[in-house]
Parts: sequence; structure tokens; C-alpha cells
Amino acid sequence: MTPILSTRNLNLSYGAKQVLYDIDLPFEEKSVTALIGPSGCGKSTLLRCMNRMNDLIADCKVTGEILYRGEEIMKSDPVLLRRKIGMVFQRPNPFPKSIYDNIAYGPRAHGTKDAKTLDNIVENSLKGAVLWDEVKDRLHESALGLSGGQQQRLCIARTLAVNPDVILMDEPCSALDPIATTKIENLIMDLKKKYTVIIVTHNMQQAARISDTTGFMYLGKLIETGTTGTIFSNPKEELTERYITGRFG
Amino acid sequence: MTAQLTTGWREKGIRSVWLAAALVAASSVVFILGYLILTSLPIFFETGFAGFFFSTNWNPTGSTPSFGIAALLIDTLLVTFGAMLFAVPLGLTAAVFLAYLAPQKLRDIVKPAIELLAGIPSVVYGFFGMIVLCSFLQQTLDMPSGFSWLAASILLGIMALPTIVSVSEDALFAVPKDYNEASLGLGATRWQTISRVLVPAAASGISAAVILGMGRAIGETMAVMMVAGNAAVIPSPIWDVLSPVRTLTATLGIELAEVASGSMHYYALFGVAAVLLAITLGVNLISVWITKRIKTGRPLVSMPAAARRILIICGMLIAFTAGIVIFGIGPTLLAAALLAGYFLLRDRVSHKVAERAAFGVIYAGTALVVVTLIIILADIFIHGLPAISWEFLTTAPRDLGREGGIFPAIVGTLQLVGGAILLALPVGIGAAVYLNEYSADTFLTRLLRTGNDLLAGTPSIVFGVFGFAFLVIFLGWGVCLLAGMICLALMILPTIIKTTEEALRSVSPSLREASFGLGATRWQTIKNVVLPSAAPGILTGTILSIGRAAGETAPIMFTAVVFSKRFISPDLFEPVMSLPFHLYVLSTSVPGAQTQQYGTAVVLICLVLLIYLGAILLRTHFRNKLT
Amino acid sequence: MVMKRKTMSIVGAAALLFAVFLVFASGCVSQGEEPATITIAGSTTVLPVAQIVADVYMDEHTTADIQISGGGSGVGVTAAKEGTADIGMLSRDLKSSEKEGSSLKEYVIGRDGIAVIAHPSNTVSDLTTAQIKDIYQGKITNWKEVGGKDLSIVLIGRDSASGTREFFTEFVLKKEDAAKTMQEYSSNGAVQKAVAQTPGAIGYVSLEYVDQTVKAFSISGVQATVDNVINGSYTINRPLLMITNGEPDGLAKKFLSFILSPEGQKIIADNGFVPVTV
Repeated sequence: MTPILSTRNLNLSYGAKQVLYDIDLPFEEKSVTALIGPSGCGKSTLLRCMNRMNDLIADCKVTGEILYRGEEIMKSDPVLLRRKIGMVFQRPNPFPKSIYDNIAYGPRAHGTKDAKTLDNIVENSLKGAVLWDEVKDRLHESALGLSGGQQQRLCIARTLAVNPDVILMDEPCSALDPIATTKIENLIMDLKKKYTVIIVTHNMQQAARISDTTGFMYLGKLIETGTTGTIFSNPKEELTERYITGRFG
Repeated sequence: MTAQLTTGWREKGIRSVWLAAALVAASSVVFILGYLILTSLPIFFETGFAGFFFSTNWNPTGSTPSFGIAALLIDTLLVTFGAMLFAVPLGLTAAVFLAYLAPQKLRDIVKPAIELLAGIPSVVYGFFGMIVLCSFLQQTLDMPSGFSWLAASILLGIMALPTIVSVSEDALFAVPKDYNEASLGLGATRWQTISRVLVPAAASGISAAVILGMGRAIGETMAVMMVAGNAAVIPSPIWDVLSPVRTLTATLGIELAEVASGSMHYYALFGVAAVLLAITLGVNLISVWITKRIKTGRPLVSMPAAARRILIICGMLIAFTAGIVIFGIGPTLLAAALLAGYFLLRDRVSHKVAERAAFGVIYAGTALVVVTLIIILADIFIHGLPAISWEFLTTAPRDLGREGGIFPAIVGTLQLVGGAILLALPVGIGAAVYLNEYSADTFLTRLLRTGNDLLAGTPSIVFGVFGFAFLVIFLGWGVCLLAGMICLALMILPTIIKTTEEALRSVSPSLREASFGLGATRWQTIKNVVLPSAAPGILTGTILSIGRAAGETAPIMFTAVVFSKRFISPDLFEPVMSLPFHLYVLSTSVPGAQTQQYGTAVVLICLVLLIYLGAILLRTHFRNKLT
Repeated sequence: MVMKRKTMSIVGAAALLFAVFLVFASGCVSQGEEPATITIAGSTTVLPVAQIVADVYMDEHTTADIQISGGGSGVGVTAAKEGTADIGMLSRDLKSSEKEGSSLKEYVIGRDGIAVIAHPSNTVSDLTTAQIKDIYQGKITNWKEVGGKDLSIVLIGRDSASGTREFFTEFVLKKEDAAKTMQEYSSNGAVQKAVAQTPGAIGYVSLEYVDQTVKAFSISGVQATVDNVINGSYTINRPLLMITNGEPDGLAKKFLSFILSPEGQKIIADNGFVPVTV
């Protein structure tokens, strides 16, 4: 099966400092891939290449290929790309608007104006993020009034509303308490039925729990990648084994 | 913590000194307002409230004197409204440009340039308006006379621009970067992000900026006096922007010097001053309320969607009519078509084109603001530099100022400003020290801070009225240097307090903790640790205040200046010449002095801009050191 | 950090010293002994010639410091009464309400004609006082009604402090109010500039403010010239006064004697006014 998203010979530097070295990584459709590694290994940077968020940083040079459904994303329109590859950030960042307007923001920006259509999108997205029951009676209240965990699920709903193929998640649970984290992890397991999820996490147990494939990065290089079960029980590289047994990082 | 460190008589004594300073600052505005109202009471007995506020007939020296301020009130509101119509859209586009679209290097040039616009004294704007703007309007719009509501609004709009741009830009810049990333991550374009997320998120800061700009427009005296025509009528029909108008401030500026104290006219003018102060205070309080409501996320006014739509349609109709009156049918239809086109097509057209169109408008708006500044400065320098000579700068004026020089005016300005700083600095720093270092967030503190904010919003002419009535007449000092110094000091006091407070707040609490931990008293800590660290910020605020004081005419017009004086003396009880007043008299009363007028304007601008430039450079220097 | 603090305090101390120096030591710049000072304020009609006379006087008496301000005749009265000026200047007679209960002394130093002026491009050259009255009351609103171009009339006048306006209102408008649309300016010079810039304007100024940037109407055939004021044919004229609160003394007395002396009166005559002691 051709992967929906893949990188080939991906190198990235900030000015003179090189941060990613020769990354070759395929991502299978409708699966969860986890990227793990110690702080500063470049996993977030790699993630942000997928939807060209690194374009926002001056001085950032990318060489190599990133293919999405066979097309070179460095050559396509980043705005259209981000409608297909969505992102959930580390800290929940709902807009200072109502819950409804947060979710409807993406579709409205893409041209959807009909009220009924928007209502449906909002409801489906909130259901998809398992938040509907909690907020259905206060859709027009400010999103900033929700708890941290609810806000993050709102952000996920917001991403679902634009109907992407791929969802990138940059340490989505690191700012949340354990109960909220569990809810999000269950949600991710649910999401992979319809979406491809790539998640960066520094929590190895989390990676072990929810991902199908795992990639281990160290100092900007992709050390090893494979099925999650294999990586955690029988890694090929010694570096990988030392990391998952906690001897560093 | 507070109580423990302020034991002992010495410490308590020092604390009381600073408390007294804070009380002076806060109570001045109350004292001034009270004095104005008390003095004006006789007029209300004479004409009654209805007669004073609702009669449109202001004719205090006519055959049958009448004192109705309705026309003046309405004219003030019309001029301010017009000024905001110009300043808010232009100011917002420039602010968006500076905060989000400008590359860092461009921002470093354009932002200080717009702040320099704020430094140009109002009398220079009035001068430019009189000579250039009014003739331009008269010729292009084929009006009988350029002195009109339109001229006043345009000029006031230009004067309010720097405030609106500066404060809005700060608000936009402070919006968390998270929102930017979230929006772009959802596949929105940069323009969509700016217009739908970032600008609304900065709403409270932007509305504060607009209200500050409005306060500036309402309280402006000199520029309006010189270009509005000063006829105390309500334009008829009400949208006739080409009609002359007269504001509350202009009335004070024109008539105050000639009233006999104790006459009904005198009381009426005090009524005008009291109303003016009450309006600006009201505007200030409304802005505080609006900012609070926006911050808590509640809508300003809850309105059903239908009502909102009706309001928008009414607004468009008014703008449409105004456009036809000013610019004629052709251009207005064109503008309307363009706007309609944008809204109908923006979702049908590719996002790239929509973005480029929007950005084009923003670039154009910012360019307009910058070009205006360049035109004003260029006009004055080109015409004024020929007048500058050693003689001009070092001799006294002769022949009504048509010959000779402006030396006494330069010295007088420095004397006024020097004295104002000597008076305001200790009181201002003392008040700020008390508010920030000694007091907790009690009711009294909040009251003191509100008092200071209200003092900050007081129009400069009100200080002149108060100074004239209280210092010149009541205390019998006559028109003198000291009276002018006190009025200027009152005017700059709030700025010094605010900037000093900010500087004190920026000193890290850990420094204070370290000092206390070593057993130092509160005053020792302030004197040896906090104040030295805060010195750069205090210095910047002082320099900005100097610049403002040097350029002001209204507070000193009736309290300190004469038109011509040959000798300079240090006598505090004698009047002085001053650069802004000299420019005002030269340009309004002395025919045939064109070059000297421009020359005076050049010297005044150079003086003020140099001071402002110094402050901006200092601020950048220290900001870079900290980051 | 310590270095910076030292520099800061040195700079601060220097600035403070400089400020004190400016305020209190500027007396070093004046020449020789302390000059005797008087302030003169009031009519902008009298201001130019008062300034010239003062300059001549100060050149001859170097210990005299005469400081002059404008503002209008009303300011002259108030300033003299309140004591904020030693001498007040007026371009009209004192009103009875101003004289009663006060000890103002008045000295007529000359007479001055009031010219009714318009933009040089105005084709009308003669008006009667009745026509001027109708124009200023808004009954005639277009120049074509008095034989000129089809151009709206823009009314320019003075503010309420002005003696010139006071006199104009009494003599030409017969004490009735002018139309509310009249633009108000605070000095002769301002009116002259406004009229010079506005093709449809009409205004009134002291005769000596008429120059080539404006044109003066002849009134019922009589040209507005100093000679016609002297020979009585141009009737729109008024006395120029200097007033003091009580008997003048010191420099004020000397200055008044000077202005009433032949030398002073010659300066008055040279500047377009009618001297009192011809």
C-alpha cells in the first residue's frame, strides 16, 4: 500500500545550524504513528514540516522531498495543503470566540456560509471529538470558559471540522491532567478509523499504548522505525534500546 | 510585609511625603473641576440649565447677550466624529501593517516616524492647516472658503493618527502567537487570520486607542481655532461639511482673555470649560468600561441580529450621503462599487487574489499616513530654512516680528519647560513611588489612580482657564512665568506618573526581595535598588514630557506670555515670550511675515523633534539591552 | 551595571543643574542694570504702531523694557482693570459700563479708519453702508446682487473682544447682530489673511492693514484713505485710546508722554493713522 505521506532525504537547517538529517519516513493511511525521542531531537520540527508550519520561521531551509498523495508539498499551495493536513498544538489554543465560532472558523474561511451546513459540521466535529454532550447547551458561550482538557478536545474538533486526511499532533497531552489525557488517548484510537494520525510525544508509555508504528529520533536523525510492538520489545538499534529502557533522555 | 518595613518615624515620615505627592496629583483634577463648576454657577442661575445647554444662540457680546452652548456642543461632536472617520480606518491599516506585515527593518523606521508625528506641536499643525490645507480644500472642492468643519476634521484626524496607530499596534503585537499558528494550521490565509482572529482578539486595546484618539480630538484647541472658521452655528443641513464651525475649545481660546472677571460672559465661559472637562472625563470613564467588558468577553451591547443589520445599513447610508456631499456623485459611486465588489466576490475569488487586494489596501493606507507626515515636514522645512540665520536665532524681534529674531522666545520656552519639569518631576516620581511601592491595591489607591487617569485626559486649554482664573486673577500674580510653569507642570504630571510607575513595575521583584532579605528598610530599598534600576524608564518619560510641554500653547496663552519682549530676565513674576505662542500670533495676526512664521515653525519643530527622537532612541537602547 | 549607574547619576545631576541654570541665571544675558518694565495689551489695531513707538523709545532709553500683547480692545480693558497690564490699548471709545465704578484714565493717541475689504479679484468696487449692513446680516448672499460675479458671499469678521468689531457693529450694523455664519477671527491680520485667500470674502480691518493682497471698497463714492479720514469725508473712523487704571506713573507715564509728543505722533502719522495733534 503506498503511504499517504512520506519523506525522502529530508534535511532541515535553521541558518547555519542543521537540525534534521536525511529523514526517510513513510506514514500509512488510517494508522497512528508516534515519534519519540529525547528533548531537542527534532521530532516537533519534523512534524511541522508536514504542513509547512516551518515556513513561518525565517532562515529555515528545507531540502529533500515530502510527498502527500504523490505530490511534492514543497511545491504546492501551503494554504490548501493545511486544509488536508491539520494540526493540534501542545497547549490548547482556542480563539477568544464562542465554541460554535471556533469550530465554524475553518469551514467559514474556506467559503462555507450556509447556516444549516455549518450547524451540521459543528455538531459532527464535536461528536467526533467526544465533546458534543458536554457543550451542546452552550455552543455560543466563550470557548475560554472550558477546562484545559475540554479546550484541547475543542481544538481537535476544530481540526476535524475542515475535514483533513491527516492530523498532526504535537505533544497534545503534555499540558493536561491524567484523566483528560486518557480521554484524548481514547479519542485518538477512535480517530484512526477515519484519519491518519502522526503524534509527537515524550511519553513512551503513551506511544506504546496508542500507536501502530513508532519512529525513534535522536539528534536530528531517524534512528529506527517499525511496528510499535517490535520497537518496544525488540528494538534493532542499541541506541533505541537504551532510550526505551530509560538509560538516557 | 508593608507594615514591617515601614516602622520608625523616619520611614513613616518619608511614606507620608510620597502619599502627599500622590494626593496632589489625584486631587488636582477634582480641584480644577470643582473650581470651574463653582465659578460658573451664576450663569446657570441666569439662564437656567435648559437655556444654557439647549439654546443654539451663543452671542455673549451682542445687543442682547445670549449664552446658549448647544451649537458649540454639537459642533464639537461633529468635528470629533469627522476626525475619527478619517483617523480610525487609516490608523488601523497602518497599525496592522506595522504589527503583522512589515519586515523588521521597515518597522524600525516607520513606527518611530509615526510616533514623531505625535511630537509636532498643535500650533504647527494649525499653521500648516491654515496655509496649505484650507487653500487646497478651497481650490479642489471649489468651496467659497476652506475654513470649515471638513478642514478641522482632517487636521484633527491627522493629529489623532499617531495615538491610534501606536496604541493599536501595541495591542495587535501583543496578541498571542498561538492564535496565529492555530488559524494558519486550519488552512486559513494570512489575511483571513489577521482579519478574523488577530484584530478581533486585540479589540479591547484597539478601542482604548480609538477613545484616546477621540479624547485628543475633543480637547484640541489651537489647530481647530486656526482652521474651523469659528462661526457659532450648527451646519445646515447637518451634513454640510463645508460649513464653518466653532468648538467648545475654540470658544475658550478666543474669548477668555477679554472677559471682565465677574461678568456674566466670564461665568458662561467657565460653564463652557466645566462642560468640556466633564465631557472628556466622561469619555475616559466610558473607555474604561468598554475595555473591561471586552476583556471579560461579554458583548458590548447585546443586540438581536436584525437590529445589528439595520444599524449597519443606517451607517452605510450616512457614509454614502456624506460622500456625495464632499466628493460628488462620481467618486462616491466608484468607492461604493469597489466595496460591494470586495464583499460579494471575496469568497468566489481565489484566496490569493483576495489576500493581495486586502494587503494592497493596507499598504496604501500606511503609505498615505507616512506621506502626510512627509508633506507636512517638507513644506515647513522648505519654506522655513531660508529664514534661519545666526541673527534669527540670537536677536530679539523687531517690527512685529517681521524682522530681527526669536531669541527671547527660545529662552522663554526653555524657561517654561525647565520650571515645569522642576515642579512636576518630584511630585510625579513621589506619587508613582507611593502608588507602586508603598500601597496595596486598596480603594484609596484605585481612587488615586483614577484621579491621575482623569488628569491625563484633561484638555490643555482647561489648564489655561484654571491657571488664568486662579493664579493670574484670583491670586493676583498677573500674567507671569510662574503661572505658566505651574499650568504646564499640571499638564505633564500624569505622564510622568504613568511612565515612572511602568519603570518601577519593570524592576524585578526578586531585586526587592534580595534587599529586604538583607535587612534594609523600604525606603532604603527604593532609594538604592529600585530607583536606580528604574532610572532609564523615568528618564524616557521625563524627556517625552519635556517635548510635550515645549510645544503647547493653550496652557500658557493666558497665563504666561506676551507677544514681544526685548529682554530676558529670570523674574518669575514677569511674562515671557514662547516659540509656539510666537508662531500662533505671527501666523494669525501679522501680515507679511511668511518667512519668519516658517522659520519659527522650523525652530520649534526641530526643538521638539530632537527631544522626542532622543526619548525614542533611549527607549530602544534600553529595550535592546534588556532583551 | 555599576558603571551605568554612575553615568546615569552624573547625567541626571548635570541635567538638573542645567535646568536650574536656565531658569534662574538667564538674567546674565540682559545688559547692564535691571530694566524698568511695563506691559501693554489690547487692540490689534493699535498693536503695530505701539510696537514701533516702543521700539523707538527702547532704542533711546536702554533701561526701558516694554512688553506688548494683542488680543483685542476687550482684552485691553480687562487687562488694565485687573492689573495684568500697565497700559491697555483700544480702537474704540470706552463703554459707559466699563467706565462706571472704575478709575480708568483714557488718552486718545490717534484716529483710525475702518476699511471694508474684499479679495482683489472681486469686481465690485463701491458699496453703500446700507448694502454692507444687508450683506453682514445675511440679507444679500451673492455678489451678483450688488453688481458683481455670481459668487457666494463669505462673511469674515472679528471676535467679540475686538474694538474694531464693536465699532463696526455700532456704526454700520446700527447695533444689530451680524449673521451667525460670519467667521470670527481674533485680529486684524487674521481677517486680512482670510479675505486675501478667499475669492468671495468680505471683511473689515483697520485702514493700516490694507495692502496689495486685498482691495478696499469705496463707501458711497468715498475712497478709504487717511486723507479722507482727516478731511472727514470717510466717516467710518474711530478714536485710538490708551488707558491706565488710575494716574499713570513711572515708565508708563513716560511712554504715554512720548507717544503724545510730536515725535511719537509723527510715528503715528507715518503708519497710516490720523494723529491727534496735527
